[in-house]
Amino acid sequence: MKIFTKLLLLSGLLAGCNAFEYSPNQTFDRNSPTDLNRKALEQLMSVQPKNDTLKFILSGDTQRSYKEIPGFIEKVNSLDKVDFILVAGDITEFGSSKEMEGYATRMKKMRVPVITVIGNHDLTGRGRAAYARMFGDLNFSFIYKGTKFICHDTNSREYKYNGQVPDLNWLAQELKPTAGVKGYISVGHVPPLSEDFDQKLVPKYKAQFENTQGFVAALYGHTHTYLTSEPGDRFNYLVTGSVENKEFIIVTVLNNNITHERVFY
Amino acid sequence: MNAYFTRCTLLIIVLCFGVRANAQQFLIPDEVILQHAGSIGYVSVGAGYKLFNNERGNLDLLYGYVPKSKGGTLHIITAKFAYKPFVITVNKLGKIYPFNPGLFFTYTAHPDLQLKFSKDNWPKGYYYWSEAIRPHLSFSNELELTKPRFIKAAGLKSLSVYSEFNSNEWYLVNYFQNVPEVSVKDVFKLGIGVRMRF
Repeated sequence: MKIFTKLLLLSGLLAGCNAFEYSPNQTFDRNSPTDLNRKALEQLMSVQPKNDTLKFILSGDTQRSYKEIPGFIEKVNSLDKVDFILVAGDITEFGSSKEMEGYATRMKKMRVPVITVIGNHDLTGRGRAAYARMFGDLNFSFIYKGTKFICHDTNSREYKYNGQVPDLNWLAQELKPTAGVKGYISVGHVPPLSEDFDQKLVPKYKAQFENTQGFVAALYGHTHTYLTSEPGDRFNYLVTGSVENKEFIIVTVLNNNITHERVFY
Repeated sequence: MNAYFTRCTLLIIVLCFGVRANAQQFLIPDEVILQHAGSIGYVSVGAGYKLFNNERGNLDLLYGYVPKSKGGTLHIITAKFAYKPFVITVNKLGKIYPFNPGLFFTYTAHPDLQLKFSKDNWPKGYYYWSEAIRPHLSFSNELELTKPRFIKAAGLKSLSVYSEFNSNEWYLVNYFQNVPEVSVKDVFKLGIGVRMRF
């Protein structure tokens, strides 16, 4: 009898904290946040920049690594003058809305805005719809301190290499000269050096960056290990180590000159 | 990946057909079930079969629906197996089954959900789960009313109310890899339902 009473009580408690689930494949529940990228950008734009130096965090692949997130947050919050955080995809393992919520709830503790780009794992199951509702468009851009950030879906394998991902036409539009933009930074999940990126599109994709006046760097995740461009590469790129490996990159840009620092926590 | 599917399929077949000898009797359900939530639909309806001589086992087959407004549209087929090891008899009411462990499988029909990741597009082991089939662990508690007058008046042998917690392999992977950052209550999800026995 006691056990039953306890279970009843527990049922009541869990019901109170949203324990009712309709399916692991549901794309949202009544507590799911929406439009988090738009909200992060509003937060970013609401503060008048104090200087011209861009300083942001590049991280990625939080996936199954929830227990590494608090250490990540603590480290980032201890840093000075960080403008925002870019998470370069794979915020889930299984593409479920519950995982996205688990990520979003924890990342709320970051002192600076968090901008989340889509990864291949986030596109599995009903992840694409869940991401679109919770974070927003899969391809989007914003301008901050005169630099345009072009965040885009590079997860070609998830579209069976249909030639549409990454969307080169959209990229070309975004890379056009724009008033008030002196530099361009692209952000994606799968880097072109990976087989998961549509290799047919690589030459055109790279050429677009190479031919853009003021192109600063292309940023990625996915590999879980740090990589950077080598002498001879015709544009700068950076691939961040994963949250699982307790690593991120601090990127600093001034007058289109980029420097970066690996950080471990 | 293949082994995983074979095992899932075999288990469902064994659960569905291996238990009752009499085929005709097998087809007639013992109970009608109506459930809310519990990871098998916003609402689900189904048929329940009592298993074993002591009738402590349950085999339930359900169809569940999640409307668009609740994060769908999803159509879900569920096969549940549970056992009721403990029973408390309550005078004037009936019986309480306080802790009934079980397992169930769901198949979710949706264009985004593949039975398995195609080998033509993803190398072997690239993703190690099925999008459409989900194995779940569950535990439920049930109050079975047989004694109150309205039961007989309604033409029922019994009316049960139950609540059921479940988790699935996605959530359990995330749980075991992240204890204590991810807690049990993050990964066990609730449903409630009624069973009517005619």
